[in-house]
Amino acid sequence: MPLKSVRFITWLVALFLAIPVLVGLVGTLLPAFHYFPPLGEYHFSLTSWEQLFQNNEFYTSLKLTLITGIIAPIIALWIALSLLAWGYQRAFFEKIEKLLAPILAIPHAAIAIGLLFLLSPSGWLMRLFSPWLTGFDRPPNWITVQDPYGVSLIFALVMKEMPYLLFIMLASLHAIDARKSLEVCQTLGYKRLTIWRKVLIPQLYPIIRMPIFIVIAFSLTVVDLAIVIGPNTPSTLAVTLFHWFNDPALSTRFIASAGAIALVIIIALVMLGWELAHCLFTRLTKAERSNGKRAGLTDYFLRLGVVLGLITLSSAFISLIILPIWSLTRRWRFPDVLPSSWTLSNIERAYPVLLELSSNTLIIALVATLIACLMSALMLETKRLTKQTKNHPFDWLIYVPILLPQIGFLFGLHVLLIQINLNGTLTAIIALHLMYVLPYVYLSLKGPYLAYQEDYLMQANRLNNRPWFNYFFIKLAMLKPALLTAFAIGFSVSIAQYLPTLIAGEGRYGTLTTEAVAQAASGDRKQVGSMALLQAFFPVFVFWLAHALPPRWTKWRLAIYLRVKKCYKQIPTNS
Amino acid sequence: MLIIKNFSLSLAHKTLIKELNVQIDDGQVVSLMGPSGIGKSSLLNFLSGTLSPGLNAQGEVFLNDVAIHNKTAQERRVGLLQQTPLLFPHMSILENLSFAIPAKVKKCDRLERAYQALERVGIKDKANATPEQLSGGQQARVALQRTLLSEPGFLLLDEPFSKLDPALRREVRAFVLAEIRKANIPALLVTHDAEDAKAMEGKCVDLVAAE
Repeated sequence: MPLKSVRFITWLVALFLAIPVLVGLVGTLLPAFHYFPPLGEYHFSLTSWEQLFQNNEFYTSLKLTLITGIIAPIIALWIALSLLAWGYQRAFFEKIEKLLAPILAIPHAAIAIGLLFLLSPSGWLMRLFSPWLTGFDRPPNWITVQDPYGVSLIFALVMKEMPYLLFIMLASLHAIDARKSLEVCQTLGYKRLTIWRKVLIPQLYPIIRMPIFIVIAFSLTVVDLAIVIGPNTPSTLAVTLFHWFNDPALSTRFIASAGAIALVIIIALVMLGWELAHCLFTRLTKAERSNGKRAGLTDYFLRLGVVLGLITLSSAFISLIILPIWSLTRRWRFPDVLPSSWTLSNIERAYPVLLELSSNTLIIALVATLIACLMSALMLETKRLTKQTKNHPFDWLIYVPILLPQIGFLFGLHVLLIQINLNGTLTAIIALHLMYVLPYVYLSLKGPYLAYQEDYLMQANRLNNRPWFNYFFIKLAMLKPALLTAFAIGFSVSIAQYLPTLIAGEGRYGTLTTEAVAQAASGDRKQVGSMALLQAFFPVFVFWLAHALPPRWTKWRLAIYLRVKKCYKQIPTNS
Repeated sequence: MLIIKNFSLSLAHKTLIKELNVQIDDGQVVSLMGPSGIGKSSLLNFLSGTLSPGLNAQGEVFLNDVAIHNKTAQERRVGLLQQTPLLFPHMSILENLSFAIPAKVKKCDRLERAYQALERVGIKDKANATPEQLSGGQQARVALQRTLLSEPGFLLLDEPFSKLDPALRREVRAFVLAEIRKANIPALLVTHDAEDAKAMEGKCVDLVAAE
């Protein structure tokens, strides 16, 4: 990009990234200390904190948040590392690798709904074993999902986070030259899993620290997943805060704001604790690493992780298979393994609703992701031009929105939206989506963009000096595969957004995600199944396009060109 | 005619090249040889106007008696051929060629020029192929044709033969020399290979480490 005044643009973009976060934080921080002009409160006080600490629901939901939010990342990390250690560079593992991207693309609400259909007392799992094994003719009165301990929530979180971690790890392995280390250690007689435990995982950890923190923050703050499959009354802290913020009694906002600030502090504390635990763990295992044993009992931890991982992956798949089955069901009585009669009428009946939801969803996702791609290109170009490779402000600013709890600062931001009269508009929804889409687009585009061989663009400008034209039609055109992948990732992030859509849109614009989450508990599995199915379909389709288009693009373009352009025909090719 | 007057190059007070004077006539290729790190590539960057800021270079450059060392890279009418052909992989060979033709040439003339260039390379049937479908030697020749189509005032060759295998190298060298003579522009070749310099049938400047 032929940019001038790089410093100015850097500052402008940095401000653009920082302002919404700051406004959101201040907008939550002030009410937490009882300062809230819209409600006529102009005096700071600590009453909301006192109320918060006297509130029993706060403690019970905090306990649930800590349990689910700490255990889920640990299990997800454990399973991801186990699967990687077990399968790396084996033929069948490449198949699993290919499945990761589509799993990642599917909004977590869709997977959670599928999991609900699988595990609930009347779910598929129970149907498969009834009545021949269990003897049940009707669904048992058990609590299998939304259990008060958050086990099903942890399961759903692991299902979402483990593929993400595995994906990141596979992408980072080239940085530590895993293949060579494996070869060297194998000639020394070390067993495969032991090599991973002693040599590779300690090297890998620092590279994937940030993704792990993203996973922790997600587990501690997720709202939609917890609404669908988490415990209720009490729910996790994020869901409790969500209810408080939406309480018709506006004064509840103060205690909710205090709770949101508390959640930010808790995230920071958990991350700190995680790092301390990691330091301790490293110290404890340091001696063991060089004790010369070529295999160890602790390898069984990794083995167990593999088994759990395979169970998790297959449950994810089964959950996704149930969605289309339910959307095509006419009659499906309890112990039957499959519906007794099928129909398209569910979809026909829901067609007008689905069409509206889909068009809302797609407009928001396409516009937000397109803007995010352009902004990422601008940011990366300024980063490239400043040549300051380490600690560029963008590289850490971009993480802030993902690490902060959406609950909390989105409500703070909502106050700003009301002030500038944008609340409840499509523009506001797109703007909030952009805030969450941009980091993922930027991070996925960063590597390929900065690795681009600039010589091509320089040669193009020497041959034909049209800097802007060449930027788009040489550089960006050559980066097509990376751009499309980044687009697909951003698109799927946008489709999955729940709170930003709800808060910015004030419920006026429903998307597939907001409706599916809202109706997940309604019991109308046929309609919810259709919504979740569509919700899963769009991102997977876009991922497929991003994968399939770039290698064929030029061939197809040239084929069409030859038919259309007259000049090409005037000079025969074989003369 | 390209004249380089009193070119000096230094990096952090270490003099690399001192007062180099070169004159290149139209249709002639002057070869520049010397050990790595002596500043050959920096000289090319200086001539093409893309010198990186850390280096300190002085000197004057005249193209047909017009000073160009104060002009921007785009105004210098420089053609540069590098080790890699840098053909745009997402365009057909024909599009790569017509990309370089100045905009003032109109539609169907552009195509004719591009086809003539293809004919010179001898791959008229590959017009709608993509660069990856061409052999290394064909790519190098297309890259030269593309550069010449942009009607440069002078040509810089930065080891353009080093990635070709020996048999091809001889062929491509002869092609390059013939085309430069046909285009009748001055050219400067930077190389490690004495054979390259000999094949160009022109003067050869040997750079040695300055004191």
